[in-house]
Amino acid sequence: MMTVKNKWVPYLFLLPAFAGLLLFKLYPIISALLQSMHTLEFLTQLVRFVGFENYVSLFNDPVFWNSLKVTLWFNLWINPFQITLAFGLALLLNTGIKQITFFRGINFIPVAVSVPTAAILWKIMLSPEQGVVNSILVALGMSPQPFLESSSQALASIVAIASWKGVGYWALFLLAGLQEVSPSLYEASSMDGASKWQQFKSVTYPMMKRPLTFVVVSVTVANMLLFAPMYILTKGGPNQSTNVLLLESYNSAFLYSDMGRATAIVVIMLVITAIIVAIEFRILRAKH
Amino acid sequence: MKKILSLISMILILLLAACGGGNSDISDENADTDGDETGGTELSFIAYSNYEAPLEAVIEDFEAENPNITVKLELAPFEQLMETIEIKMGSKSEDVDLLFVDSPLAVNYALKGYLEPLDSLMSPDIADAWVDSAVDGVTFQDQMIAAPMNSSSQVLYLNKDIFEEKGVPLPKENERLTWEEIIEIAEQLTYDSNGDGQNDVFGFSFDQIDRAYQLLALSDSLDAEMVSENGLEATGYTNSPEAVEAFQFYSDLFNKYGVSPRIDRAESIDYFISGKIAMYLGANHNLPKLEESDLNYGVSLHPYFAKGEVATPTGAWNVGISKYSKNKEAAAKFLAYLTTGEGAKTVFEIGGTLPVANELLDFIETDPMYDEFPNNIIRISATESRETAVPRPKTPGYLEWETNMNGAFKNIKNGTDPQEALNQAASEIDNLLKKYEEAVE
Repeated sequence: MMTVKNKWVPYLFLLPAFAGLLLFKLYPIISALLQSMHTLEFLTQLVRFVGFENYVSLFNDPVFWNSLKVTLWFNLWINPFQITLAFGLALLLNTGIKQITFFRGINFIPVAVSVPTAAILWKIMLSPEQGVVNSILVALGMSPQPFLESSSQALASIVAIASWKGVGYWALFLLAGLQEVSPSLYEASSMDGASKWQQFKSVTYPMMKRPLTFVVVSVTVANMLLFAPMYILTKGGPNQSTNVLLLESYNSAFLYSDMGRATAIVVIMLVITAIIVAIEFRILRAKH
Repeated sequence: MKKILSLISMILILLLAACGGGNSDISDENADTDGDETGGTELSFIAYSNYEAPLEAVIEDFEAENPNITVKLELAPFEQLMETIEIKMGSKSEDVDLLFVDSPLAVNYALKGYLEPLDSLMSPDIADAWVDSAVDGVTFQDQMIAAPMNSSSQVLYLNKDIFEEKGVPLPKENERLTWEEIIEIAEQLTYDSNGDGQNDVFGFSFDQIDRAYQLLALSDSLDAEMVSENGLEATGYTNSPEAVEAFQFYSDLFNKYGVSPRIDRAESIDYFISGKIAMYLGANHNLPKLEESDLNYGVSLHPYFAKGEVATPTGAWNVGISKYSKNKEAAAKFLAYLTTGEGAKTVFEIGGTLPVANELLDFIETDPMYDEFPNNIIRISATESRETAVPRPKTPGYLEWETNMNGAFKNIKNGTDPQEALNQAASEIDNLLKKYEEAVE
């Protein structure tokens, strides 16, 4: 009798977590999937089942393909950029110089600034009309740049702004990882005559795979879903150059009254993100 | 074991129920207390934040007369107003009673079932209180779906000091320049005042930069229609040769002549007040703000193309009652107070906006108070709104049209070829308008 009871106890403890998962993760996903197969009829206000019609119309829509391209292109640049910078920053913040805590504090400041505040500040600084960045460029004898107002520079400007805000945060996780690497490994390798680079390649990097996996996956997910800077700074423009999928989905839902299209985009994004994350897990699988 | 199993399933069911039905339960409770006569009624009103001062004054007076009704303002800046309405109304939220309705969106809101027709809620002859054009704008299938609150027009404000400094004669108050003349004068008034190599005083700027509301006056002057008769096609209209010519002019202001600063709408009035713009084509309701500043300014009439017609922007704010409101009677009472009689007068006096109530328009026309500057700006606007104003395109998908056009205007400002920008916008708009086909037939 006791054993049967005991068998259920672990599940009971798991219940709150499972209920949370079900409620906050699975339910919205299923709900989105169902919504993406429906459309709202005006006048009658009836919700009609349309199967995969929303997906078919998306695949025939050049705006969707452009947004998909922008999203992937954006992620192709921002993720390696942020991870490399974060790793570099973490290595610097892990050095043993005096007052390192001061630098660690500074590093964290952009993280504490909210995304809208950061976006608006950068918008003012990057303004083509008398923005401070252009004033500096002109003072240095360079020509002023349009930044967010140009379709060739807007996405890169957003990569820069998002990285300014994000890198310090991700560096923190990598820093924690670096501090977990046992000093004895470095001692042993230096006795074997390993150079700094060899130490990094053979000690630091392999030992960092776990925190790195976490950071890589989190950065990818965060940037796939990033849309606040585009929403605040460019509204997807100029010429759709920053119109990422999530912004297009937002517009469909809340400007164009097309919830079916909006949720179809979200479902597609979910699939793409899942595939990318799965690949990342595979590549970064720790061997120890 | 059975006990635990049933416990688990019960918790799960409870959680799911809380998730699925939670919203409506909570709203119902609210609605009950709101509707309670003894406890008083609270109305929630989604409004454009620029109207905070006049609306609060009206609400104060209204609440004094109707102690058991309170009105709570939910303010949003222009950029977020439409989205706030879409999100709230799209989710059939019951906590909205009254909402701002931009004239060209009235049909769209009616199609989506956001608005309660007013005919059964307000007295049948109330429509006589407003000018016909305003009533037309909010009539859908022979029913009034919102009440007009105010209208707007644009005048050409002039910074007298810049004109004097550059020795350019100031246009007269009753003079209507052509766009060609505007360029000529603006070029003389654009210069680098601090010697840093970049122009910082500009000859001309629109108030609502990149906004269809104001820029349509360009294409209207060349008689370009923006959408097809049934309001469902933009290609061939939005990107017609006339439209391209009109918006090529917009592009030239920034890219060819460099007489307008590449700024956003929100910055334009401050640029004018701080003396960085010589000629500012702006709304009449900027008047209170200009009077507060110490700017030495004058006024002239809205320009037009030499080969075209005189056309000025217009657009009204209306207020509608939500279909999902639980307090429609009380909302109608407030709405009548706001848009006619004392309320309309307060909105006009405090907000400086152009009224749509016949009573007030007659007053502006005849009262000597409006003979002299700066109050004559109100009279000029009233005349323009009756004689030269062209309403915005009629389409059930005005929000889609406008959102994409505003984006196109921004691209044109930043150097995209107008033909290219308008072609792209037109094809995107066509795609978005398809969903209204069934509704319009």
